[in-house]
Amino acid sequence: MSDFLNAYSIQTWLESCPQGYLEDTEYGHAPGQKEPELILENPTLRQESIQSTVQLVVGERAALAASSGLINSAPDYPSKRFLATQTLDEARHVEIFTQRLYDLGVKKDELEDVISQYANPHLVKFAEVLLEKVDKGDFLAGVVGQNIVLEGMAFSVFEMMQASNVELNPKFAKTLSGTIADERRHVGFGENRIGSLLQEHPEKKPEIEQMQKDMTYHMLATFADSFRGNAPAMEETRKIAQEAIPDQKHQVWHGTDLGSADPAELENVLADTVLKEFKTRLGRIGLEYQEPAKP
Amino acid sequence: MSVETVEIHAREHDSFLEEVHSFEFWFQSVEGYLAGHPYGVDPSTPIPDLDEEEKATLIATLSTYCVGELAALDGAGGMIGFAPNRQAKIFLATQAVDEARHLEVMLHRLKELGVTDSQREFESRANRNLLAFRKRLLEFVDAKDWEASLLAQNVILESMEFAAFHSHMKTADPRTAQMLSGVLKDERRHMGFGENDLGRHLAQAPHARARLREIKKELDALVLATFEDSQRELGTPASERPEIGRLYLETVARLGFDS
Ligand SMILES: [Fe+2]
Ligand SMILES: [Fe+2]
Ligand SMILES: [Fe+2]
Ligand SMILES: [Fe+2]
Repeated sequence: MSDFLNAYSIQTWLESCPQGYLEDTEYGHAPGQKEPELILENPTLRQESIQSTVQLVVGERAALAASSGLINSAPDYPSKRFLATQTLDEARHVEIFTQRLYDLGVKKDELEDVISQYANPHLVKFAEVLLEKVDKGDFLAGVVGQNIVLEGMAFSVFEMMQASNVELNPKFAKTLSGTIADERRHVGFGENRIGSLLQEHPEKKPEIEQMQKDMTYHMLATFADSFRGNAPAMEETRKIAQEAIPDQKHQVWHGTDLGSADPAELENVLADTVLKEFKTRLGRIGLEYQEPAKP
Repeated sequence: MSVETVEIHAREHDSFLEEVHSFEFWFQSVEGYLAGHPYGVDPSTPIPDLDEEEKATLIATLSTYCVGELAALDGAGGMIGFAPNRQAKIFLATQAVDEARHLEVMLHRLKELGVTDSQREFESRANRNLLAFRKRLLEFVDAKDWEASLLAQNVILESMEFAAFHSHMKTADPRTAQMLSGVLKDERRHMGFGENDLGRHLAQAPHARARLREIKKELDALVLATFEDSQRELGTPASERPEIGRLYLETVARLGFDS
């Protein structure tokens, strides 16, 4: 059963992650790397950065609660061991994105207020749907929700953010590249472990598919708020950044020019990318993607 | 002290905790003794030549340790969900990885000793008192009872492991001793967290002490019975058996929890 899980040993994790791509980093970036002056000094850019980083903290807190909460209900030691490494990865993500809020000037005693002020309510709902399963000790639903839906979303969001920040903010881009490497590992676990368990419990499918549908709805609603619902601010930040660094190289991500596409196009390419991944990954474990209402 | 001084102290203490309960701090701590030590052992350490009886004894002992480590892994993972703040959550996440590593290096040592299905092996050998302890710990965790979980996990279970590993290291073969020494360093960090967090908690809620004392009494009995069972199994002479129990009680007392 668990031969593939040997690839997820603590030893392998230690060598590839903290002793590998995180070696010589602090809070995920090179020591001494700073947020660009442009962001720190321009109130619009700074505000925009705080707002998007808050969503990352909210997502990572959910991932930390879910992965740690699943350790207890995992049916075997190799799965528990993998989830322990994921738990620490997620705790690190919470830590580095929280640190970024501090770097952006959020005071320590304002942290929770800033988070509740900016947290997208749909993202909060997205997390609640998942954590309800985790709380009930439902390992199967928990892993699908966490390692396929949440991770699938996080992975693409990080990739897209990383591409948009390569030139503008090398510090943040570097922080993101380490989390992308972590999330890639997390996504792989879900597929492998769950496929075999679902074959043993086909009766669980409808409930899990309903959870996927609910989570997907809240994810798409979060995207809608962050792009279409935030269009004027997005255009504004882009204008400021382009004026400050006129010869910025445009990054193309999944065929879309991130430097010139309008917010609706950006939202589409992100949603399409994530949903395509969902369909493939759910299919591989024997689940059919359930399409939610359009937010 | 004026209110202001107290506040400054509290703030300094908070940033201290934020630092020591971080991924960064954890990695700096473990890197010193884990770098170049796959599965907790310097690869150049020769595989010791143990006779059949020594081997059987070591297998039995490591199997018992594995049950304790599995309980610690489930306990630490479960406590993250209701830990009172981010620093505690992050610390417990590092502890969960430590505990999973302890189990891994012990299973690895069992494999070196020729045990093929080490996971099944340790589960089938589990000591009933240790299982009763595990059940109690996970009941506290399920009830999201922070102070009782912290006492059971980061004070009692950690002190039990500390006493067992510390005593064992004196007579262990070099590979086992090296593996245990790395594990002990982690356990010390876990005990420090328990002592610190529970100590501060009790300073603010002294009435909780009486309840914790009752819980401690109940768990002490299970810990001492586990020691007794496993030493009888290992053929330790009755005259030497109280030694490890005494070390356990002293360790718990040093953490501020005497009877
Ligand atoms: Fe994450
Ligand atoms: Fe993740
Ligand atoms: Fe341990
Ligand atoms: Fe421990």
